[in-house]
Amino acid sequence: MIMNKQEFLARADLQTQTLELWLEQRWLIPDQTSDEMNFSDMDVARARLIRDLKTDFGVNDAGVDVILHLLDQLHGLRRVLDRLHRDG
Amino acid sequence: MTNPYEILGVAPTASSDDIQKAYRKLAKKWHPDLNPGDKAAEEKFKEVAGAYDLLGDAEKRKRFDNGEIDATGAERPQHQFYRDFATSDHAHPYTNDSGFADFVDADDALAELLRRSERARANRRGQDLHYRLPISFVESIAGAHKRLTLPDGGSLDVTIPPGLEDGQILRLRGKGAAGAGTGGPGDALIEVEVLPDRRFTRDGDNISLELPISLSEAVLGGRIRVPTPSGDVTMTVPKGSNTGTTMRLKGKGAPRRGGGHGDQFVKLKVVLPKSPDSDLEAFVSNWDKGKTFNPREDSAS
Repeated sequence: MIMNKQEFLARADLQTQTLELWLEQRWLIPDQTSDEMNFSDMDVARARLIRDLKTDFGVNDAGVDVILHLLDQLHGLRRVLDRLHRDG
Repeated sequence: MTNPYEILGVAPTASSDDIQKAYRKLAKKWHPDLNPGDKAAEEKFKEVAGAYDLLGDAEKRKRFDNGEIDATGAERPQHQFYRDFATSDHAHPYTNDSGFADFVDADDALAELLRRSERARANRRGQDLHYRLPISFVESIAGAHKRLTLPDGGSLDVTIPPGLEDGQILRLRGKGAAGAGTGGPGDALIEVEVLPDRRFTRDGDNISLELPISLSEAVLGGRIRVPTPSGDVTMTVPKGSNTGTTMRLKGKGAPRRGGGHGDQFVKLKVVLPKSPDSDLEAFVSNWDKGKTFNPREDSAS
């Protein structure tokens, strides 16, 4: 599902200011093909993860940065392994 | 459903602090996004989260202790985790391949396998293509329509939103490399570089500018034209303005994300005429008050 900023804020249960901050940190990269930002279900799930890290686990911003970077790499590796496994 | 106290591993007499601590510890361990390959993690996490929903809320905990509600009363709604998307076959903007970049470069068996598998993927989505787009400072504030010329000779129209900052990435869906078979095209990811401007500097939403004024404008005041990223405006310089005097042009800064604009700060700099002027010299040598004024008095130690 593709949604605009308002729908995204509601789905992800976020404040505008928080979103601006996360966009600035490049923790979220919405689609900007058209003039307004478009968000996907994936962005919602990613926002929830960031919120879990920050509010439930007490991770600070620097920690979130590190975790997201490592997770993105981990998923990159998992994709390759999965591909190898299937094509193997 | 098991006893929530047992799930969190705390005594029924535990304090709410202890319960929160136990929850955080277990939730960190079992969060599905931190265990992308472990199917059991999601179940464990739900159990832990459910137990905490109940025991973390003083009201619900009391009702549970009194037997008014059972442990299932606190089950969480279905929730899709980030990991459900992240390893999907479609490339996405968060993909990061640096974790195995060194394998692909290496000349060994795994690298060959990886290469072969890359080739074998018939319906692969096109790659995301990364570009850099330099824009001027003025364009970054006012927004612009730019055409990016691609290495293959094609071009890409990019709308620069007003107020964009250096290093920001714009994603244009479907503008990346073409996919194979039924795989769609990838995205274009454009990193925008804001070129420095010799007049303006930016600090958050505000813009600063150093503006030279003449001696007579400084002493007598007057109306002067001031460049802003959105065009020249007229500003009144008060009598007796000095080098370093800063004036504010409200709303002439960068657009704010929430709406509105920052301000432009104009720092005045008094500049004497380039060539020595005999009239000015004659005037200053007859100006006794000017000679007795010592601007360094305050700073003398």
